[in-house]
Amino acid sequence: MNMSKSPKFESVKTFFSHMKREFIKNKNIVGQLVKRNVKVQYRNSAIGIVWTVLNPLLNMLVMYLVFGTIFGYSSDKTYVLYLLCGNIIFNTMRGATTQSMTSLVNNRGLLTKNKIAFQVFPLSCNISAIVNFAFSYVALLIVMMVVDTSSPFMHVFSAHMLKAILMMPAFFLFIYGVSLVLAAAYVYFRDILHFYNIFLTLWMYMTPIFYKVNTISGSFGKFFVFILKCNPMVHFVEYFRQVTYRTVAETSITETSDEAIKQIMAIQDSVIIDTNLATLYILGIAFFAVGLLIFSVSKRNFMYKI
Amino acid sequence: MKKNKMDELELSQSAIDINEELPVIEFNDVEMEFYMGSEKIDGLKEFFIKFIKGKIDRTKKKVLDGISFSVKKGESIAIIGHNGAGKSTTLKIITGILKPTKGSVKVRGNVAPLLNLGAGFDYEATAKENIYLNGAILGHSKKELEKKYNDIVEFSELHDYMNVPLKNFSSGMVARLGFAIAIDVEPDILLIDEVLSVGDENFRQKCSAKIKELKEKGATFVVVSHSIGQIKQLCQRAIWIENSKLVADGPVDEVCAKYEEYCKNNKH
Repeated sequence: MNMSKSPKFESVKTFFSHMKREFIKNKNIVGQLVKRNVKVQYRNSAIGIVWTVLNPLLNMLVMYLVFGTIFGYSSDKTYVLYLLCGNIIFNTMRGATTQSMTSLVNNRGLLTKNKIAFQVFPLSCNISAIVNFAFSYVALLIVMMVVDTSSPFMHVFSAHMLKAILMMPAFFLFIYGVSLVLAAAYVYFRDILHFYNIFLTLWMYMTPIFYKVNTISGSFGKFFVFILKCNPMVHFVEYFRQVTYRTVAETSITETSDEAIKQIMAIQDSVIIDTNLATLYILGIAFFAVGLLIFSVSKRNFMYKI
Repeated sequence: MKKNKMDELELSQSAIDINEELPVIEFNDVEMEFYMGSEKIDGLKEFFIKFIKGKIDRTKKKVLDGISFSVKKGESIAIIGHNGAGKSTTLKIITGILKPTKGSVKVRGNVAPLLNLGAGFDYEATAKENIYLNGAILGHSKKELEKKYNDIVEFSELHDYMNVPLKNFSSGMVARLGFAIAIDVEPDILLIDEVLSVGDENFRQKCSAKIKELKEKGATFVVVSHSIGQIKQLCQRAIWIENSKLVADGPVDEVCAKYEEYCKNNKH
């Protein structure tokens, strides 16, 4: 169904019908690729798709045992939720960007034999990352009910949960922007793969996933918070935490003893990087715009470099 | 309602595109340049070392040089020439995978490329999944594919293997599946690159029959092959590209005779 390849179209009508067909075609390809990406993860595994829920849970458990002991958080049962919130957001970003980076080169066979828009590949990687995120979210819901036994279903349908959905378009634009830059760069320089893996480790430590910012004090603490604020991932992680962890953790404490008040204070303190939806959308749109620009400029030579 | 509107658009589209008077493929002084392979730098280190030494090779190779020809609707033409003469590049330009460095190309109607069958296959996935993925790449919607699915399976004769991962297929089976998907597009223009020798004798006859059927329906064929016999069977006209230039364009027997003579003379 691909059509006239000429840059000059015989009429405006032809042009629009061309655009429409290209759009429908690309939509179908993306749909099939997403299906493939999601399926490929649990192909030949015994419990299949259950892994996508189990994986973040087990990951969380390991981190809880290790970092809970090191930092002394293990007495606080809400810490598991704190961990999981940060972890699933960061891992979604990690999955989307690392897969997108190699997606063009890995699909070399398809690209050199068929006329396909380049964007289709990073886009499908990002959409499948979001699908995986949805599965991880199921894990999060399970943990939420365990942490707050007083009102297990209240949070699932609360307004705060809605905010978590509201942030997703911004988050998607952000990871897609980063993915586009990496995918384009990888076509030219294969070293990026190794470099980015190291960078991801650094990035993870520069994002409060397992530690709480308020435990770092003194003048270094202030400097550290400043650095954290420059890290876009911190904003996404902290916002997601505000709307899930904080509300659940606060309501999970029902008694009014001094101990309980102390705990609530600690929870409020632990989210000290304040952020809002507007910031997330500015970040998302900015990264997407830069990514798209770099990708569009460099895609002219993809065919010869790939 | 939406669907109807789309059909209307498509109809008017094809009415404009497939005009009897206008050629379906038009090459106008097309030039295609590639950077030489030595310039292909994969690593940053390599790049900087070469950059500092001033050794970035910017020499280009002309793969096509001033190629002009046009193909009318329903015509079948063959492109012949030695390895590396620019035949496959020509097909890739018709498909739109590559854009020419200079000159203009016009293609009217939808193109089905049969270049290297099975290049788009995911060998970990089953045959069924591959039909849907490959079909989408060729521009089918999911609904269309659901309708065509049975025909494709029927044509490939691989009924019992649809839920088998492609990595367990023989190369002949993969080629058959690839051919079955590509041929089912019912395209206006079909590009064939050395893929007519797939499968066993029975399957080959089936392919020839299908090609004949498409020809009768008015499809245009562009064939790249080294088998002169096959070309003579399939095409009326041939184009000979040698050293990136168009050498001859005319009736298939004439051009093929010239080409064979040239091959003989250049052996020594």
